[in-house]
Amino acid sequence: MFWRSTDFTSLLIEEWEEEFIVFQPTSGKTHFLNKLGMQLLLELDKYHQSAYSEDQICQCLLDRFQLQSAPHFLEQVKKTLRRFEELGLVEQVKRDPVSAR
Amino acid sequence: MRVEQIPAASFFSLLSEEGLRIRLGPFNVRISTNLRHLAEQLHFLYAHYELVEDEITEFHVKIVSKRSIPRPFSASVHFLVDDQEPFPPAPVNQALAILEWGINLAIALRTNHLLLFHSAAVERNGNVLLLPAWPGSGKTTLCTVLAHRGFRLFSDEFGLMDTECDELLPVPRLMSLKNQSIDVIKRYLPEASMGQAIPHTQKGTVAHVRPPQESIEQSAKTAKARWIIFPKWVADSPLRLERLPQSEAFLLLASNSFNYEILGEAAYKAVTRLVKTCHCYKLVYSDFDRVLTALNELTYGG
Repeated sequence: MFWRSTDFTSLLIEEWEEEFIVFQPTSGKTHFLNKLGMQLLLELDKYHQSAYSEDQICQCLLDRFQLQSAPHFLEQVKKTLRRFEELGLVEQVKRDPVSAR
Repeated sequence: MRVEQIPAASFFSLLSEEGLRIRLGPFNVRISTNLRHLAEQLHFLYAHYELVEDEITEFHVKIVSKRSIPRPFSASVHFLVDDQEPFPPAPVNQALAILEWGINLAIALRTNHLLLFHSAAVERNGNVLLLPAWPGSGKTTLCTVLAHRGFRLFSDEFGLMDTECDELLPVPRLMSLKNQSIDVIKRYLPEASMGQAIPHTQKGTVAHVRPPQESIEQSAKTAKARWIIFPKWVADSPLRLERLPQSEAFLLLASNSFNYEILGEAAYKAVTRLVKTCHCYKLVYSDFDRVLTALNELTYGG
């Protein structure tokens, strides 16, 4: 399963004490993200319109936060992706992530 | 011309015929009623409000008493705003409570040119102290004390913010105390002008405090917010006034607004500016003397 951000550049973002208040103009909703959630969106937006597999996203985040792979981390990332999908912040795509770059 | 300058006898005729047109902060309201006892209450509690001469009134509210066929011996009162009836009828003795709730409802539902917070607001030295809180937190009681102890009343119910210029607009209305707060305020502020207690309303017993005259007279004078304090009355609690993280202040403030989602991006940007420019605190208190000392120190000290 591959993921990409929908319209990251349109988001209005304020950072306060490593927490992020995000306004999404397309829905008119305001979201409260922690560092992991924001980094996930940033990673997905790094190569605009490219899609990442869940494993790739996980690895990017582990590298970014200099973490060892933990058993529940992939599950946590998957859960966050699904929640972000419900909010319209990310979307699933049927695309080979390598050829998409 | 103010309400107190109208003789009591003419005041009832005005209310029952063309309607009383008064200025409530940025809103002009026309009030009509055929109830003599409500006219007497309004003549006292609305004494300092200014009459509107030739301007348009935003809301036309009416309190009318009717007898129903199933219960012909007990009249009820109906609140109407622009001929719509948003509440079920209530007993006649609750007319004032229904009128005040109705006007608040009309402001809350129909004002979308301003960002509306469910918040008390008072001013000192040109700076507004916002006290956003949900019902039951003691917001009105605290606001009543502050309004009689050196702060100018903006509102016990609404923080009205113009998102174009970030000014807060005063709308000093009657402060509706509930249940135990009534006796608490009678004891702490014997000088407060309070109407009669109205028992058995949907919120228990309520009594209305008239805003200080200076607050009404200066109701055209806007100001920017400098402090945001989320208050909570907790019985016998020691005073705690603690800094609130800005992200938490943002969420509490946005979720406290009546029309944040309607105003969308303008509201997000306005709340962001508010949180960035204000000092944000959480307040737990049980004692008025201590809370006044703390807030005097805060607002005089910077």
